[in-house]
Amino acid sequence: MTNELTGRPWSRRSFLKAGAGLGAVGLAGLPLAAARAESAAMNFMQFIGPGGPAKTQSDWIVQLVDAWNSAHDEKVSLEYVPDSEYIGGTKLSSSFASGAGPDVFLISPGDFLRYYNGGVLADLSPFIEPAARADFPETVIANRMVDGKIFGVPMEVEPMAFYYSVKAFEDAGLSEKDVPKTWDELLEIGKKLTTSDRYGVLFETAPGYYQNFTWYPFMWQGGGEFQDASGKSTFDSPATVSALKLWQDAVASGAAPRQALGGGGSDIVANLGSGYCAIQNMGIWGISDMANNAPDFKYGVFRLPVPTGGKYVTVGGGWAFVANARGRNPEAAGRFIAWALASMSPDSIQRVVDWCTVAKSDMPPRDSALKAGAAAFDKGELGVFTREIHPGTRAEPRLPPEVYKSISDAIQGAMLGGVDAAEAARIASQQIDGFLATYKGAPLL
Amino acid sequence: MTAAVAKREVARRRRAAHLPNERREAIAGLLFILPDTLGLFVFLGLPMILAIALSAFDVDGFGGYRFVGLGNYVRMTADPLFWSSLRVTLVFAAMAVPLLYVTGLSLALLVQRSSRFNTAMRFLFFAPQVVSLVVVGLVWQLMSVEKLGVLPRFAASLGFGGVSFLGDPSIALFTIVLAFVWFLMGFYMLIFIGGLQDIPREYYEAARMDGAGRRASFWHITLPLLKPTSFFVLIVSTVTAVAGQQAFDLVYVMTKGGPANSTLLLISYIYQQAFRYGAFGYAAAMATLLVVILMAITLIFFAATRGGRFQYD
Repeated sequence: MTNELTGRPWSRRSFLKAGAGLGAVGLAGLPLAAARAESAAMNFMQFIGPGGPAKTQSDWIVQLVDAWNSAHDEKVSLEYVPDSEYIGGTKLSSSFASGAGPDVFLISPGDFLRYYNGGVLADLSPFIEPAARADFPETVIANRMVDGKIFGVPMEVEPMAFYYSVKAFEDAGLSEKDVPKTWDELLEIGKKLTTSDRYGVLFETAPGYYQNFTWYPFMWQGGGEFQDASGKSTFDSPATVSALKLWQDAVASGAAPRQALGGGGSDIVANLGSGYCAIQNMGIWGISDMANNAPDFKYGVFRLPVPTGGKYVTVGGGWAFVANARGRNPEAAGRFIAWALASMSPDSIQRVVDWCTVAKSDMPPRDSALKAGAAAFDKGELGVFTREIHPGTRAEPRLPPEVYKSISDAIQGAMLGGVDAAEAARIASQQIDGFLATYKGAPLL
Repeated sequence: MTAAVAKREVARRRRAAHLPNERREAIAGLLFILPDTLGLFVFLGLPMILAIALSAFDVDGFGGYRFVGLGNYVRMTADPLFWSSLRVTLVFAAMAVPLLYVTGLSLALLVQRSSRFNTAMRFLFFAPQVVSLVVVGLVWQLMSVEKLGVLPRFAASLGFGGVSFLGDPSIALFTIVLAFVWFLMGFYMLIFIGGLQDIPREYYEAARMDGAGRRASFWHITLPLLKPTSFFVLIVSTVTAVAGQQAFDLVYVMTKGGPANSTLLLISYIYQQAFRYGAFGYAAAMATLLVVILMAITLIFFAATRGGRFQYD
């Protein structure tokens, strides 16, 4: 082998010299790369786009950033991370752990306390005008606030409901007027709709934030809460036990499966759409999922049934824009978020309407957006949410991971593990009390 | 100036020329393995050292470190999920390792002879290895779906209706073991085929002449002479079952640790603590303990086989 530059054969020494030279060039390039990173635009990490799985959503976020970049000096660049790698995976948490967290990112109420207590959420209040602040109902914004300051601007409200297959109902001799209004009716109709290859009703079965989220309203409906005014756990209340028992009975009776298809309980196309179940506990985003992936499937929507003597309430989740307090330019990030979702300009309001009606099917987190998009929010199944389901929405709780895990274990134990519901609630309550005794952070809501 | 440099160069070459050949070879050898050694140190050794150091800190995941000494190890003793996930891991390994050994060896015995048919079968048994683990997990998930999947239907045909292969805590772990064994059995089959091909044919011929049947040949020739291969298979499959990425991926895709934590392996719990709850210090402590457990298991294997040496070596 010869060195083509010198024409002489490669010696061991010249080989090592060349290697060392290449290494030196590489090292010399590091400061250049670092300098380039310093001057880069603000990084907006999220799971929507560009190139995300839903084109309408991807287009929305690309247009949002394009509009900002064309009118402002501080640029924003989108970093798309697939949903499974974002909060559910390692990307967001490891970026913060390594000191390279994004400047702007999305979080749900389930993760709020972890990031707030970690000191990485910037106060967005200075960038939000009072009129815009008042435009967010208290039930929507409260779980993104600490000490009167706003640390996240919600882009949507996603209430939970039940979706049912019209064909499955008809096959069982049922109609729209038979949709269950109480827990007992839900179990009874669920059993009636169960066949050899279909389940009557489906709740989320996989452990995780989403399962907790979908279970909370059943606890609230009977008057259950996580803690009392003194901060002590009340998770072992009769209402909590009843809610755990409802899901346990649904599985034990054979009306509900132990395993969901596709992406799990939040995947309506793989479950209701495929005929695996006749009724599915599902969020409002199911409307757009069905419209995009199973447009010919006939379904209806009804609000969560209540226990005897209980009160209707559902849970409303949703993602929020947040700024990294330790980012490159928290002030510009705050301005960007306020401009995007929390300004009284018609563009900002319309952006929320578009996200909730064109890109997705959601309830808006702002009164003005609900008004501006009144016609769209009143149409079809979205109209059912607007009129019947959303008025009973309570914000998704924000809990520290340790409390979430105790609740998750109680749900899993009772629903699938054969643990007595009262015992599961008691164990979780003890664990929550144990954790709260030493917890120092923003209040749980 | 130039003359001085040339003089120094001549002196240096003269000194180098006086080095004994062995020394020069040794230096050259060291230089050649230097890049690999550096790579191993930077990407394996250093992270391990840092992880052990991290286990002595309470880490919030946002740049906050607080020295807690052995606090994270003490926390483990009072954490029921740690013990539960450790038990699940040991049960998983206790089921998976013997199954992998038996299936790998059985398949190797079935297809060890050279023929077109056996070559095709070898390829088929090895095929799962070239598929992504996520796809393997999804396929097994679909096969296990209640009422619709192949496994519940097959169980129903045997009179065991209503079985939930991934939703029942008493069965879910075994289903994951099956998927794990199905994925890896082709790999161990190849290793066993290599081991079988190393056994001289003359031994079998002599045994046959002495009147030994197939069963006797297997127990008295094949198995004893496969000891080095068995040693390798048992060590590697144990490490894979206890801390391998394969088991983690399958659990992540198929059950997420459920139902009711019945498939939550220690490695999955470590992941949860680090990336879901941000408890990197606690996760590092558990990972350190896992390494210690693996080292202990390996040492037991080595002690039982006198350092992997066997009688006929």
